[in-house]
Amino acid sequence: MMQGLDADSLGPSPTELMRPWRLVLPAVLVVGFLFGGGAAFGVFQALGYLPSAGMTRLSLSHVGNALCDPDFIGSLCFSLYVSIFSTAVAAFFATLLAVALDALSGQSRVAAFLIQVPLAVPHLVVAVAMFFLLSPTGWLSRLGASFGIIGSAERFPILVNDDGAIGIMAVYVWKEVPFIGLMVLAAIKQGGADFIEAGKTLKAGSVQRFRHILLPMIGPSLWSASLIVFAYTFGNFEVPYLLGRTHPTMLPVQAYKNYADIDLAARPEGIALGIIIAAVTVLCIWMSRRFMAKAEEQGTAP
Amino acid sequence: MMKWKIWKFLAAWTGGFLAGGMLLCAPVRAAQTKAVPAWDSVLSEARGQTVDWFMYGGFPAANAYVNGYVVPEVKKRFGVTLRQAPVTDIAEVIGRLLVEKQAGKTENAQADLLWINGENFRTAKRNGLLYGPFAERLPHHRLVNGELPSVKNDFGEPVEGLESPWGAAQVVFHYDTARTPVPPEHMGALIDWIKAHPGRFTYPAPPDFTGSVFVRHIFYHVSGGAAVWQGPVEEERLEKAEALTYRLLKDLSPYLWREGKTYPETPVRMSQLFADGEIDFSFSYHPAEASKNIKDGLYPDTVRTFVPREGAIGNTHFLAIPFNAGDKAGAMVVADFLLSPEAQLKKADITAWGDFPAIDIRRLDPGWQDKFKALPRGEATLSDEVLRARLLPEPPSEILVRLEAGWQEHVLKGR
Repeated sequence: MMQGLDADSLGPSPTELMRPWRLVLPAVLVVGFLFGGGAAFGVFQALGYLPSAGMTRLSLSHVGNALCDPDFIGSLCFSLYVSIFSTAVAAFFATLLAVALDALSGQSRVAAFLIQVPLAVPHLVVAVAMFFLLSPTGWLSRLGASFGIIGSAERFPILVNDDGAIGIMAVYVWKEVPFIGLMVLAAIKQGGADFIEAGKTLKAGSVQRFRHILLPMIGPSLWSASLIVFAYTFGNFEVPYLLGRTHPTMLPVQAYKNYADIDLAARPEGIALGIIIAAVTVLCIWMSRRFMAKAEEQGTAP
Repeated sequence: MMKWKIWKFLAAWTGGFLAGGMLLCAPVRAAQTKAVPAWDSVLSEARGQTVDWFMYGGFPAANAYVNGYVVPEVKKRFGVTLRQAPVTDIAEVIGRLLVEKQAGKTENAQADLLWINGENFRTAKRNGLLYGPFAERLPHHRLVNGELPSVKNDFGEPVEGLESPWGAAQVVFHYDTARTPVPPEHMGALIDWIKAHPGRFTYPAPPDFTGSVFVRHIFYHVSGGAAVWQGPVEEERLEKAEALTYRLLKDLSPYLWREGKTYPETPVRMSQLFADGEIDFSFSYHPAEASKNIKDGLYPDTVRTFVPREGAIGNTHFLAIPFNAGDKAGAMVVADFLLSPEAQLKKADITAWGDFPAIDIRRLDPGWQDKFKALPRGEATLSDEVLRARLLPEPPSEILVRLEAGWQEHVLKGR
């Protein structure tokens, strides 16, 4: 090995530059092949390439049919309504939760444990549990009837399989409040109590401290977590399938119904809906990462 | 340098596997012929084979019967390893067979046996996806009454030996004598009852199969019966009957549970609503299901079943073998065993499953006949005579598909 003109003085060699890529190549290949391949296969099917049903010509007509279907607009609006509303409610309660936890400041281990329970329970289990809890012959209804709060089990308000998707939103709020709450709490802790202390010293009222110090501090993390929650609830299938109405239904259930239709020609439309859902999700994730980057700049990233 | 060694190593192993695999495949390829061979050679070829049986996985009782009884028995008697492959809808497997056929995969495919009927059988038959005819070559086929319309035709499609019967189903309605002492006697009376008791009846949303059969009953009710639909169908007549069906169901919907704004998504949910007291009727394709639910503590013991006077739809469910199955002999041996008196008796026992036999009891020896007659039927199960006397055939699957799509369009969405 010659001294002087060796690799170091000329900068990194091409093989060294490629080193990180070579290390992740196996993982990238597997993910790319399985997920990317599946996604590409889906795109082809959405464009109408389904040899088993005799469709071999690519065309945008299926995507067009899916978008022009009156059911699509209904499902889309319903999905947006449920996702936006449940995310907003969850974000509101999560902020309150984070402030409360910050005030408790690790004094209550019970509270800390209880907060983590919803994180561990799968959405499907929560949906079934909500059903047993909130259905007209469910637990709350029978409790109310036996304590005389309501006349009979039939008087219990309709909370599941209902027009307003209350059962569905209850599931999402219960699951997502701890998730957003913990991310916001991390932002508060990272941001430092110093600013809040400074505010107190300068005689800022608690509302002023909240509005002008705390909220901007947690803002990026709150937006980031909320976008993730929005994307998840937008694409979730099992909760609206169990707790939703037969019609109008939410977009993922609509996509599945099209896909599983006996008429194989409906399958490309189902996949087109799935791709739309995926596109919305990817957009939300991208926006969420931008907010996270802003949080890092601010110094409040977890 | 090391990298090249690794690549050479991998290449050598891959090549070795490919070569070994091809050598192993060769003798199996030679053994598969087009014609169905004699039974003894089938039995000897089946020994040691692994049969992958693709079937609907949503009946715990059926799964328990297959995995707890059939699997050990075929291993013990014939040396066949049976593996149940549960699916949510056999249409998925049919779709895959279509793809495999187009890709030219004509042998050694994974699926060896299919639990199938109705429109899935029709699709498979019309696309040449099934092996056979093999059903009449099975020794126990002599116990089947092949002349019964529900055995000769599968939803209007002639079976022609391409599938072997396994069991029978018939729709019965469940009601609770504690709430409804006298159930409606026929479909018209049921419709009047629904209007007189708003919010106390519902049915699963088609395309669920059980929900769809309720729509078929209404279809027969408005069109004057089932007989006219067996055989070639006039389009105009069908359209008129469809319109009447949808109009009746649409007019009925405000009187249903939740005012018809939503429907249970599965018959399981409907039975749950019935057990919880939200609705007063449930129905099912399995005559013994009410008894089984009572036994399992899911229904109160005051529940009984009835069939409308004009009859209830019933069908046979079958087993078929894909054209490209890798273990056809094993599959035939399993299908034959499932038709044997022992297997059919065990299947008809409600402590195991309670599915009705596909064989004709009268063709059995008196000893076996007594065993079948002695089976505990459960207090909620109707007698065979009543059920068979009120049996209606299924309509052709084209009508079924149109009814399901039409219901969603006209009744659910109101267009």
